Amino acid sequence: MHTVWKGYISFGLVNIPVKMFAATEEKDVRFRYLHSTCKTPIEYVRRCPHCRRDVGREEIVRGYEYEPGQFVILKEEDLEAIPADGRRSIDIMDFVELQEIDPVYYDKSYYLSPGENGEKAYALLKKAMEATGKIAIARLTFRKKPALAAVRVYRDALMLETLFYPDEVRSASMVPGLPAAAELHDKEVRMAVQLIENLAAPFEPQKYTDAYRHALHELIARKIEDQEVTPAPRPANVVDLMEALQESLKAVSGEKKRAARPRKKVTG
Amino acid sequence: MVKGNLPFVRSLRLTHPDKLLWPESGITKLEYVKYLYAVHEPLLRYTRGRTVTLIRYPNGIYGHSFYQKNCPRYAPAWVPRHPSNGAGAILLNDLPTLLWLGNQAALEFHVPFHEAKDHRPRELALDLDPSAPGFAQVTEVALLLRDTACRLGLPAYVKTSGATGLQVYIPLQPRYTYGDTRRVGAFLARYLAERYPRLVTVARRVGERGTRVYVDYLQHGPGRTLPAPYSPRGRPGAPVSTPLSWEELERGVDPAELNIRTVPERLRSLGDPFAPVTSGQGRASLDEILAFLAKRLPER
Repeated sequence: MHTVWKGYISFGLVNIPVKMFAATEEKDVRFRYLHSTCKTPIEYVRRCPHCRRDVGREEIVRGYEYEPGQFVILKEEDLEAIPADGRRSIDIMDFVELQEIDPVYYDKSYYLSPGENGEKAYALLKKAMEATGKIAIARLTFRKKPALAAVRVYRDALMLETLFYPDEVRSASMVPGLPAAAELHDKEVRMAVQLIENLAAPFEPQKYTDAYRHALHELIARKIEDQEVTPAPRPANVVDLMEALQESLKAVSGEKKRAARPRKKVTG
Repeated sequence: MVKGNLPFVRSLRLTHPDKLLWPESGITKLEYVKYLYAVHEPLLRYTRGRTVTLIRYPNGIYGHSFYQKNCPRYAPAWVPRHPSNGAGAILLNDLPTLLWLGNQAALEFHVPFHEAKDHRPRELALDLDPSAPGFAQVTEVALLLRDTACRLGLPAYVKTSGATGLQVYIPLQPRYTYGDTRRVGAFLARYLAERYPRLVTVARRVGERGTRVYVDYLQHGPGRTLPAPYSPRGRPGAPVSTPLSWEELERGVDPAELNIRTVPERLRSLGDPFAPVTSGQGRASLDEILAFLAKRLPER
């Protein structure tokens, strides 16, 4: 696994060096988009419609559209000037009960592993959190931005969950068509509860697989087996191209010399 | 000695002259700063007008080290800076600045390929990084790259990285974008990798490289840097990123022998093989190569 962040958990007077690793990965099947006639991967160009030409990356700046067609330009140095907490620490602010955090707040999960000489303090924090059943609410600066996070024990590791800020969670009152107070008969409620209890089972995530992804992989495998494959047009052979380029450069310099001769100009 | 307008320097004091920066070589800060003085002309000729990223080792190469890009607030007012970052990046323009940075135990000077004023790369640089111990293989690849560049009419110059590799520089007329130079660099690198597949790789994943030499064309780009010529490295033996002539590379070079103790004498007797890179003469045009590549090798 590759380290995405390195720093310290800091609480009280204790600093525990830790490294952070992504705990989850997307397994979506990725496609490339090809030109349907020649099957060449499509290339995206950045083009300025005003100047009518392609623009390089270094010619592009960020703009914030504060009203349609009106931009404020934010340069790299503007963003760097925003005082971000550059400290590489996960500052624990509070310890709370896991149940107090609604799952809606969870964004991404990361494993924490002890950094150099941090094993003991890491084990101690983990043990104490297990003993109390509490999880920690913390702040850290991750990818240049301050983030809110929860640190909890997951199996043998400490896990950091980045959290959405409260203003990033939409209010349930914005959901249209929620029933206010429907009249329900006791009998109906009892039946529904009964149904739920019949389906109650321990959570075994292995039971659930991504049927769509499996089907897609099978379809792809079948197409490969049936030789239903399309090679991209052979990518230009760079070795041949080098030959061709040398030839063309020779031709160009020859032309230049011929062009120069009548004027009796010596170039070198 | 130093040409151009020197800033008015009120004082430049060497602190802790006896501090060991390269402990097993016994190189103190005083000896280090003397080294910087000895190489300042060719070093500054290259870095002048460019921002510098420093690696500082306040307690020598085995102590804590850190990168520094912004000019610290406590820097003397005469240290030239470029307002590219919030606090301003240091421009490695003159001898007092170089010596002041030496006193700050800045042991490595990494610079971009463009001058701060125009963002146009002045060299196309390829970083050759061996995957296996030894210098013979990376030497061979550098010579092949020189031959290839030569066949395209491109002048090429070489220096050691100061670590295990070599870096090849092609001085350019400063009117291309990094997009342009990257295309030519990628073409050269891919050509070498396809022509000499057992010797050269352009694989970014270390695991795919095997024992081959990695030709890193991605290290040439906006925001990327390489050690300046004559920059030491914070590695055992005080190695220096040393410009070489192709003839001496053909004869064989031991990069460990190119260090703070040996390079000043070498510079006196052999001169600076990188002088043409900074001279402004003989800078290459990429026009024809770019026109050819645009037609024949559309970007993927």
